Amino acid sequence: MTKKRTGVFVCHCGSNIAATVDVAAVAKAMASEESVVCARDYVYMCSDPGQNAVIQAIKDNQLDSVVVSCCSPNLHEKTFRDNAKSAGLNSFTCEIANIREQCSWVHKDRGQATEKAIRISRSAVRRAGRNLALEPIAVGVTRRVLVVGGGIAGIQASLDLANAGFEVVLVEKNATIGGHMIQLSETFPTLDCSQCILSPKMVEVSRHPKITLMTSSEVEEVSGYIGNFKAKIRSKPMYVDPDKCKICDDCSQVCPVVVPNQYDLGVSARRAIYIPYAQAIPASYTLDEASCLGLNPVVCGKCKDVCEAGAIDYDVQPRTVIEDVGAVVLATGFDLYGQDHLGSYGLGQYEDVLDGLQFERLCSASGPTKGHVLRPSDHKEPKDVVFIQCVGSRDPARHCSYCSKICCMYTAKHARLYKHHVPDGRAYVFYIDIRSGGKGYEEFVQRTMEDDGTLYLRGRVSSIYEDNGKIRVFGNDTLSGQNVEIEADMVVLALAMQPSTGTAEIAKILKVGRDKDGFLAEAHPKLRPVESVTAGIFLAGAAQGPKDIPETVSQASAAAAKVIMLLSQPQLTHSPMVARVRSRLCTGCEMCVDACPYDAIRLENGKAVVNDVLCEGCGTCSATCVRAAIEVKNATPLQMQEMIGAVLNF
Amino acid sequence: MINPQDLCTRARDLLASGEVRAVVGYRRGSRGMAAEPVVITKPEEAASLVWDPSCVHNLALYLVADRKRLAHLHQTPGKPIAIVAKGCDARALVVLMQENYFKREEVYILGVSCESTGVWDDQKLMQRLGCDSQSLTGGRFDGDDFVVTTATGEQRISAPECMADRCLECRHPFPTMNNVVLGEEKARTLAAPFAALSRFEEATGTQPARWAFWQRQFERCIRCFACRSVCPMCYCEECIVDSITFTVALDTTAAEKANRVRWIQRSATRSENIGYHMTRALHLAGRCIDCGECERVCPVHIPLRLLNNKLEKESREKFGYEPGVSIEIASLVSSFRDDDPNDFIR
Repeated sequence: MTKKRTGVFVCHCGSNIAATVDVAAVAKAMASEESVVCARDYVYMCSDPGQNAVIQAIKDNQLDSVVVSCCSPNLHEKTFRDNAKSAGLNSFTCEIANIREQCSWVHKDRGQATEKAIRISRSAVRRAGRNLALEPIAVGVTRRVLVVGGGIAGIQASLDLANAGFEVVLVEKNATIGGHMIQLSETFPTLDCSQCILSPKMVEVSRHPKITLMTSSEVEEVSGYIGNFKAKIRSKPMYVDPDKCKICDDCSQVCPVVVPNQYDLGVSARRAIYIPYAQAIPASYTLDEASCLGLNPVVCGKCKDVCEAGAIDYDVQPRTVIEDVGAVVLATGFDLYGQDHLGSYGLGQYEDVLDGLQFERLCSASGPTKGHVLRPSDHKEPKDVVFIQCVGSRDPARHCSYCSKICCMYTAKHARLYKHHVPDGRAYVFYIDIRSGGKGYEEFVQRTMEDDGTLYLRGRVSSIYEDNGKIRVFGNDTLSGQNVEIEADMVVLALAMQPSTGTAEIAKILKVGRDKDGFLAEAHPKLRPVESVTAGIFLAGAAQGPKDIPETVSQASAAAAKVIMLLSQPQLTHSPMVARVRSRLCTGCEMCVDACPYDAIRLENGKAVVNDVLCEGCGTCSATCVRAAIEVKNATPLQMQEMIGAVLNF
Repeated sequence: MINPQDLCTRARDLLASGEVRAVVGYRRGSRGMAAEPVVITKPEEAASLVWDPSCVHNLALYLVADRKRLAHLHQTPGKPIAIVAKGCDARALVVLMQENYFKREEVYILGVSCESTGVWDDQKLMQRLGCDSQSLTGGRFDGDDFVVTTATGEQRISAPECMADRCLECRHPFPTMNNVVLGEEKARTLAAPFAALSRFEEATGTQPARWAFWQRQFERCIRCFACRSVCPMCYCEECIVDSITFTVALDTTAAEKANRVRWIQRSATRSENIGYHMTRALHLAGRCIDCGECERVCPVHIPLRLLNNKLEKESREKFGYEPGVSIEIASLVSSFRDDDPNDFIR
């Protein structure tokens, strides 16, 4: 039934709207609309007096519908719908006319902007006139969480959630959790050993009764909706039973296959059967299918023969499980920008040009050189080491346009670590700027320069080539204006961070957006930094953007807090603005079924049927149906037609 | 070459064995030798079926009509209906099945291959012969030619001279989906696909010129809805472009009647006609299989095929989609692939 008593409330938003739009004129124009019985403007409609005025006006004028001409419905739709509700109306009788983002902010001409604001408001009045009273849909919630990625972000989020009493399924693609942090030698700005601070958390994950750890596993498919997801997870076989493996190392002693060790970034080698590192969780050897001679006792079978515990079984098959969860935390982390892109720096070409992570392994006590900084080519101690910052970062023309944020700090750390290992060595750092915002960061960089005598050269490197066992680095010191040439023993590149491989796929599987650089997109850059655009899916760590360990841990805990908030509710509510099938017109062509991005429509007895809980009210079905047999409640074709009419002054 | 007698035999056997409840085909009409659609239900009627170059109609329409009739009677379809289908008609059936309008097993497709020719265009033929269709007493396929009989006797005409434009541009003159097929699948070397469209686009040149052309065309439309009536894809119970088809059921409320959306006014004015034709064209995107019936039946000769061809060409070039190819694939507008081009979205 058409509404007969609409109230229109026009907000000045300080000068945000009022500077460009004549708000009084908008209110006056609305007052002359047929169904409008009260129209007024106010400086801040969302303020307490503003809201009270709305509530009072609804009561005084016996309004049956409300239009608030103000900012985007993303911001205050809820506020004013709550007002409508507290004044005794159904909250869905309230509509927002966006005259700020869609009008005052994008126009300059006051006359035209006012006219547009009038038309936008009028179209909202028409729409509100035909709004049905709807009630939010209640849905149950599964109190379990899926965490994707077992780096520090995933570990922290899992522990926080598990300690809050929620069951967690932690899925990690690699054979062990720990991510990139476990590869680091020491961490800035306190230079505490990375393994020493991370491994207790890893052990806690493996022992926690609420955490199901799935390593060598990947999420293949996720269906469902906030509070009720179904995740299909596929686990690759490890071929070694972690419960039986005694970590005796007999198997890898006899394995004939030698391949580069990814954990040491290829600086060292490993066998086909190996343990990534001593503190690996799960604490077990694992058999790398790709490099093994074929999982066939006829071909090799040496490891199986030698294993006294009988932990090795070549016949294990991949396993797929389906987990019911209420929320998902994505912590898929980062990868370094990579040598494919950076051949001009000699990376991958000269043995003694390393990336930051490789250098971490050289410094690490558990690394291939047992913590002695030795250059890979001849295992001699390098005496002149050049560190280059911003390799691949801040270079929109050729590489990544963004700042990778952590490189200034880890380069300073590298220089210090080097000087601590080789006190008589000389460390040079090429930089563009030093970005050391963070607690104790600036002091750390200053100590690197002053206490450890690292030479900082402000400028870019022009070329690098190997000459007679030395690496010649040509650059420019823009502060002195001189060209610089350094005969270095080793060069360390501070590569840009980029989203880890597979980020694009997982984003697709979970239907979460990515930003222009491929990082997972947050719902709002300021106010919703740990939520993805898809409800019930949260972001943690470097998958969302470059960040250091303290920030990653904060974000992981923040994501966990958001999940706890979500899953602590007795039930969730779902917007009732969902699709509705006009059965009589439906011919069962199934086009809406194919088109629905939420799998919310199915065919029953030859007619489309909408699952209200899955439906997000996006309207794709309505746009696809040539028969106009499906429409979204409170956004019906009739409402659209009347809104178009209002905008076109019909 | 197809012997029309084979068609009669097949139809008779199907009806006699009770495998189908009816056969939709062509018989001799009342105007000269031109064929007209017929639905036969008895074996003895099968002898009246014909197959010749005047079998221009897309018979898929009659299956749609049958489905609607059954729906109104609340009856479920029993045995299948057999239908004589050319390549284009069979493609129409594919689209209808893709849209679940009926199931594959509900239709027995008596395929007829157009081989190396197609059906003729009445106007082209009459112009060529210099007589009217009443005086045409016979016509048949013969290899790459049509053989026609008039008062002056029999004469042979090279088929491309008088073939319908849609047949000249046809890429699939063979009904791929069929239960049985008469005639062979032959390679064709006729006009290029979308030839008429390319000619039109070249001739009109610029977008404003093209728009002016269409405005003139739609100005002439009398909104008789013949194009909609003859189209097998226009099977909606309620057509959004006119209020006459508003379906009223037992549960239709007064408010629903009062509040029905009138996107387009009934008056046959230019703006409303444009609204009608553009909406219809868009609703046929990825569905129109170019049987050309809309253009054939238009009493004021609006070149409607050009509109549909344009959308067909776009969907082919942009999305690699060809309508009427398979029942299994999702239709053009309801399917999304990650590699779909999106450079036209700004």
